[in-house]
Amino acid sequence: MILAFALTAAVLFGSGAYLLLKRDLIRMVAGIMLISQCAVVTLLASSLSRGQAAIAVRPGDLVSDPLPQALALTALVIGLATVAMLLALVHRAIVVFRTTEQDELAATESEHDAGLEAERRAEREEVENGPDEEWEPHTEDGRVR
Amino acid sequence: MLMSVALLVPWVSGVLLVAFDGRRRVVTWLAVVSLLVTLAVLGVLAVEVFTGGGSEVVTGGWAPGVGIVLRADALGVAFAWLSVLVLLAGAAHEAIGRVRSRTFPGLVVLLAAGLTGLFVTADVFTFYVFFELAMTASYALSAYGGKRRQLRAALVFTAVNLLGSFIFLLSVAGAYRVTGTLAMDQVAQRMLTVNPNAAILIAAGFFIAFSVKLGLFPFHFWLPTVYAGSRPAVAAILSGAVANIGAYGLLRFGAGIFPEQLRLTGVALAVLGAVSIVYGGVLAIGRGDTAEMLAYSAIGQVGYVLVALGVGGPVGLTAAVLYSVVNSLNKALLFLASGTRGPLVAAAFAIGALSVAGVPPTAGFVGKLELFRTGVVAGSVALVVLLVAGSVLSLVYLFQVYQRRFWREGPPPAGARSPLPQRLITAVLALLVLATGLWPEPLLALSGQAVDALLAGAPG
Repeated sequence: MILAFALTAAVLFGSGAYLLLKRDLIRMVAGIMLISQCAVVTLLASSLSRGQAAIAVRPGDLVSDPLPQALALTALVIGLATVAMLLALVHRAIVVFRTTEQDELAATESEHDAGLEAERRAEREEVENGPDEEWEPHTEDGRVR
Repeated sequence: MLMSVALLVPWVSGVLLVAFDGRRRVVTWLAVVSLLVTLAVLGVLAVEVFTGGGSEVVTGGWAPGVGIVLRADALGVAFAWLSVLVLLAGAAHEAIGRVRSRTFPGLVVLLAAGLTGLFVTADVFTFYVFFELAMTASYALSAYGGKRRQLRAALVFTAVNLLGSFIFLLSVAGAYRVTGTLAMDQVAQRMLTVNPNAAILIAAGFFIAFSVKLGLFPFHFWLPTVYAGSRPAVAAILSGAVANIGAYGLLRFGAGIFPEQLRLTGVALAVLGAVSIVYGGVLAIGRGDTAEMLAYSAIGQVGYVLVALGVGGPVGLTAAVLYSVVNSLNKALLFLASGTRGPLVAAAFAIGALSVAGVPPTAGFVGKLELFRTGVVAGSVALVVLLVAGSVLSLVYLFQVYQRRFWREGPPPAGARSPLPQRLITAVLALLVLATGLWPEPLLALSGQAVDALLAGAPG
């Protein structure tokens, strides 16, 4: 029983981690969902290993620990809320960026970096040529550009 | 009683405020007032805790051991008060300017509820519930602004931190499996007798979860994109309040529940912290963007907390608490100053920069002094050299940015001056940093008492 739980949790976590590393945003969400299910399975496995469910117990029956079930229910609800939140974010990103590829999202960051670099270069050149009026850019053969 | 009020005020008002349009002035200022009330209640609670010991509430009127226990001790109350203070500064900063989304005020108040809850709970699973409440609010907050960069920041932040949260949940399941309880003090007691392999594995899970929140070296990859991409007020909230979860978690779980494992891995933690300091410091030099520089600086600064934790003992832990508090104030001040323009801001930024570098008479000096004491107590030359090198690096990168932003000739950069009250908030935070540096006794006493409370609860 414990082995079955352990295997299920391991497979869920492994496939989740694999999907999480994909470039596609939807696959990433699917990966996180699988990992959240892995956490729930582990919570259940943490002591649901003996006895009957704790409802309608007959005298003499072994009763299983009801606490992990309460924990799993709470974790499911929280997982649902966070995944819904993540899906809403991904939806917004797809509407704004018109893509589900992480690479194209990262392009925004390099645009920003390029803007900063241009700004810095402008600043440097201003410092170099600003105060001295006589300076003129020359090409190698001496002609003014 | 006070503790329930401190939790219920932000919780109820946050839920109500989310339903209204936060772009309306009334709603925004109601959120600020609600945070002020929370801060005041937490202040009274803190005074009570510091003068008369901890206070305890068992939810639902159950017997302790059956019901969930909320326990306010010095460590938790100090972190809760500090986090709500940073949230208040961030919310007021946006309220004076212009709130750009309808959910912003409500989310900040809900974040306050989540943070207060997780700092006062004495139950591992309730910690997870409050943790998710706080994190979900901050996921939504990181998208605040709605531009492309903020959206990308929010996606990265949410994906990475959700993974961290589930690793935390897996560790909670593991802890319940081996100890059969969720109350922190009982978990700590029974952890002494479990199989050491299982215990170290569970401790590692908790460590990874909190390091992801804090942005420590091997888990820092998400941090620059998020802090640089989100709006300054949100970046201040994330680095000044939400990152406190990581520091508090490392202290509470590391020193409070897994002291044995902490002792075993102390050297490894100190090395990781050292790598964090050097990595953050070196990469922060030569960043064009103020926010990006501050993000790398944040990676370096949390390294100090980890080094102090790795050294351990009362001195090391006191330094860790003290430095977390100082760092959270510094980061809130610097991020807010980076989003403001006009007179007073340059002075505030300079005070923040000096504090990060650890120059007297700022709060950072007291933090660095305690860290040096830790290094001397540990008898490690390498540690002291590392601290000096880290401070020099931070002085270099901060004043490089200061020079570029405030000492520039010619017309001031694009964008009008910020309104005076917005600049005053930054100035007040700067004064707080200065005052803490000039009169450090309360902060020192607070850290000492927090560590006493922490060690009193720890087994062995």
